[in-house]
Amino acid sequence: MKNLGLLVICVLISMFFVTGTAVAKSDVVVYTSLENEEVVDYLELAKKDLPDLNIQAIRLSTGELGARMLAEKDNPQADCIWGWAVTNTAEFIPKGMLVPYKPKGWEKIPDNFKDPDGYWTAIDLYAAAFVVNNKVMEKDGLPMPKGWSDLINPAYEGKLIMPNPASSGTGFLQIASLLVMLDPDYKNKPVENNNAWDFLKKLDKNMGQYIKSGSKPAKLTAAGEYAIGCSFAFVYASLKKKGFPVSMILPEEGVGFELEVNSLLKGARNEEEAKKFLDWAISTSAMKNYAKFKLGVAYPGIPGPESLPALDTIKLAPMDFPWQSANRAKILDVWSELFLH
Amino acid sequence: MNTKQKEIDIANEYVVSPVRMKFDKFIIPTVTIFIGLLLAFFMLFPLWSILTMSFFKGGEFSLINFTLENFQKYFTTSYTLNALWHSLYVSSVTTFIVTVIIFFFAYAMTRTTISGKAFFRNIIMMPLIAPSIVQALALIYLFGRNGLITAHLLHTDWNIYGSTGIIVSEVLYCLPHAFVILYTTLSAVDIRLDEAAESLGATPFKVFTRITLPSAKYGIFSAAALTFNLTITDFGNPVVIGADYNVLATEIYSQVTNLYRFDLGATISIILLVPSLMAFMFNYYISRKTFSMISGAAKPVIPPSRPLKKVLYKTYCSLVSLSIILVFLTVVVGSFVKIWPYDWSLTFQHYHFPSIGGYSAIWTSLWISLIVGIVGAFLTLIAGYVMETRKPYFKQLIYLLSVMPAAIPGLVMGLGYILAFNKPYYIFYGTPWIIVINVVICNFTLGILSSISNLRNIDPSIEEASISLGGDAIRTFFKIILPLSKVAFFQNFTYFFMRSMTTISAVVFLVSATVHLAAIEIIMLDNDGWTASANAMCTSIIVIVMAMLGILQLVQKKMAKRPLEL
Repeated sequence: MKNLGLLVICVLISMFFVTGTAVAKSDVVVYTSLENEEVVDYLELAKKDLPDLNIQAIRLSTGELGARMLAEKDNPQADCIWGWAVTNTAEFIPKGMLVPYKPKGWEKIPDNFKDPDGYWTAIDLYAAAFVVNNKVMEKDGLPMPKGWSDLINPAYEGKLIMPNPASSGTGFLQIASLLVMLDPDYKNKPVENNNAWDFLKKLDKNMGQYIKSGSKPAKLTAAGEYAIGCSFAFVYASLKKKGFPVSMILPEEGVGFELEVNSLLKGARNEEEAKKFLDWAISTSAMKNYAKFKLGVAYPGIPGPESLPALDTIKLAPMDFPWQSANRAKILDVWSELFLH
Repeated sequence: MNTKQKEIDIANEYVVSPVRMKFDKFIIPTVTIFIGLLLAFFMLFPLWSILTMSFFKGGEFSLINFTLENFQKYFTTSYTLNALWHSLYVSSVTTFIVTVIIFFFAYAMTRTTISGKAFFRNIIMMPLIAPSIVQALALIYLFGRNGLITAHLLHTDWNIYGSTGIIVSEVLYCLPHAFVILYTTLSAVDIRLDEAAESLGATPFKVFTRITLPSAKYGIFSAAALTFNLTITDFGNPVVIGADYNVLATEIYSQVTNLYRFDLGATISIILLVPSLMAFMFNYYISRKTFSMISGAAKPVIPPSRPLKKVLYKTYCSLVSLSIILVFLTVVVGSFVKIWPYDWSLTFQHYHFPSIGGYSAIWTSLWISLIVGIVGAFLTLIAGYVMETRKPYFKQLIYLLSVMPAAIPGLVMGLGYILAFNKPYYIFYGTPWIIVINVVICNFTLGILSSISNLRNIDPSIEEASISLGGDAIRTFFKIILPLSKVAFFQNFTYFFMRSMTTISAVVFLVSATVHLAAIEIIMLDNDGWTASANAMCTSIIVIVMAMLGILQLVQKKMAKRPLEL
C-alpha cells in the first residue's frame, strides 16, 4: 500500500502544478504568426519591459491561427493578436471578433499602417522574395531569375518550391500580388477568370512542392533540396548570417508584401493586460527590435537589417488588401482545385 | 484470554454489517454509471458534434438544416476525393508489407532456435517509445532530396517524398503493433501439429502452407486489420513526408486550419471513420476467434532448426532490426551534428529550441503524461473490475463503449473536442485537463482489455473469500484486486504514459498558448524548417520515455521480491 500512497502524492503534486500554471495573476494570452525565431527574441525584451505581465504566447501559422480563433469565437482563449496578416485580420472585423483599440503612440503610425477605426495597427510589412541556393544553381548550370516571369523557364523543372497559400500567409501574398499585377482588370471580373491563373499553371509545371510554411521554402533551398525557394526577405537574412550559400532576389515585376498587425480580441479575459501589451508592441523599443529582422517597420526612420536593401529602394507590388481580404476564400478555393492533386 | 479477546475482535471486524451491504449494492451501479457517463460525454458527445457539423447547416441539429451539401462537395472536388484513394492505397500497401514482414519475424521468434531473440524482440518494440513522426524525420535525412543516401552516396535525384515515404514510414511505425499480435498467436498455436506433419513426410514447404499458415490465419487477419487502422488514421508521418500527397488525416487538418471549413473537416472525419471502423470491427470479430484457437496444450519446446534456416532467419531478423535502429540512430545523430549532411561536427545548438514552447513543452508533456498514466491505469482497472467480476447490468453496453475509442482516429476525436467543448461553461477547455481526458479516452480500449485479461487470471475464489469474510466492494478492490493487479497496473501506467508522451494526432487541435506539448512542438519545428531541432525534441522524448521504462522496471523488480501484503 506504500506505493499507493506515493502515487496519491504524485497526483496531488502534479495537480498543484496544473492549477498553478493555469491561474497565475496578470496573465495575457497572445496569439502570433511572427516567425518563432523573432518571437523568442521579442518576448525576451517584452518580459524586461513589462515585468508585471506573464505573457503566454502561442505561435502558429497564419491559417492555423485563424482556424483556432474561429473555433474559439464563442469562448475566446486569447486576449490579443500580435503580428498577424492584415488580410486575415480584416476578415474578422465583419464577424465581430475584434474590438477597436488605439494603443499609446497610435498617432505616430503612418495612415497606411493602421485601420482608421483602430481595429488593427500594423507593426511592420514583410516582403516576399526568392531565395536562391548558389551552389545548386552552379552545379545545375541554371540562369539567375530576375522576376516571376523567368521562373516558368523549363530549365527549373522540379527545382522550385513555394508555400501553400492556404496554410501560409507568405504563399497567399505571393498569389495575391500576382493576381493584382498580372490582371489590371482584376476588380471587375470573377476571381476564377483572372489572367494570373494561366501564368500560375505554367509555374506549376516547375514547382517541386507546395509546402505548408512560408519560411520552409527558403530553408529547404538553403539545405540544397531545391534551387529556388519562394519565401520572404528576413528568412534570407537569417540564413545568410548562418553561412548558407544563398542569395536573395526581389522579383522585378514588384515585390508582394503583407502587413503584420495587432488587434484586441472581443471577449478578452485579460483586457487591461492585453492593452498594456499592445501599447508595448508599437513602442519605439519594440519597433527597434522588430527592425533587427524586418525590412520595414511601421515607425518611419528605423533602418532594417544591414543584409537587406532599404525599403525605399524596393519596387513594391500594388497590393489591394480590402479586395484580397474579401476574396480570400474564393482565391484559395480556385487555387486548391487547380493545383492540389 | 488474550487470544480469545483477539478472536472476538477479529470476528467483530468481519461481521457483515447491513449498512455496508447496502452501500455495496449502491457502489457498483454508481461506478458503472459513472464510467458509462464518462465515455458517453467524452466520446459519444464529441462524435455527435462531428456528425451534426457534417450533416446539418451550421452544425445546428434540426430537420430543416439537414443537408448533404458537404458530402456532395467532398465527392465532386477532385483533390479531396483523391485523399480517400490515397489513404486506401497507402494503407493497403502498408498492411500487406507489414503483415508479411512481421509474420516471418514472429515465426523466427517462436518457431526457430536462432540466438539473440530477446534482442530482436526489444528492437522491434522500439517504435512504440517515439512519436509516430520519428520515421518520417529519419527517412528525410536518409532519402530526402538532400538525403545522406540518395544525394550523397548514390548521387541520384530520386527521393522519398510522397506515397513511398508515407508507406515506408508507416511500415516502420506499425511493426511493433502487428508483432505483438502475431507473436502471441504463433506462440499459442500447438507446434506439435507441425512436427506431426513433418514426421508423416510432408515437405517443409507443405508444412508451412498447409499447417503453419492456416493455424495462424486469425492472427494474420487481426494484425492486418490493426495495421490498416493505424496507418489510415496516422497524422504525424504523412504530414512530414507526404509533401503534396494528401491523405484523409492531413486533409481534415488542412480543411480546418487552412480553409476554415470545419464542416468539411467534420465530413472528411466521417469518411475516415468508415474504413477505420470497418477494420476495427473486423479485428474485434477475428480476435474473439483467435482466443478460442489458443490451445492449453501448446508446447513451448522448439525442436532445433536446420543450420541454413537459422542463418537465413537470423539475417532476416537482423535486417529488420537494423532498419529500426537506423531510424533511431539517424534522428539522434541528426540532433547533435551541426548541418546534416555537410558538417558533421558535434554541437548542442539544436537543443536551444527556437520556439516559444522549448523546454517548458517537455516538462508539460512529462507531468501531463504522469497524470494520464495514473488516471488511465486507475480508471481502466476499476472499469475492468466492475465489468469483469461484478457483472453489472448493461455490462455489454459499457464494454462496447470502452472498446470503441480504438476505432476512432485521434484527429477526429480532437476535432470533436473543439466542436463539442469550446463553450464558456466547459471550464476545462483550454486547460491541460482536456488533454488528459482526451488521451485517456483515446487509449481506453487497450487499457481496459489488458485489465480484463489480467483480472481473468485472478482466481475468483480469493475474491469470494474476501466477500464471504465481510469485505465490501471497496475493501475487496483495494485490499485484494489492486495488490494482485500491481503488474497490470504498472503495465497500463506505462502504456498510457508512453501514448501521452508520443501522441500527435489526438492533441494537435488541443494545444494552446498555456499548454505546449513536446510531440506537437516537433511538428511545429519541422514545419518551420528547424529539422535538426525537431530531431532534438524527438530525442528528448525518447530519452524521457526510456528513463520512465527503466524506473518502472526497477520498481516492478523490487515489488516482485517483496511478498504480497494483503
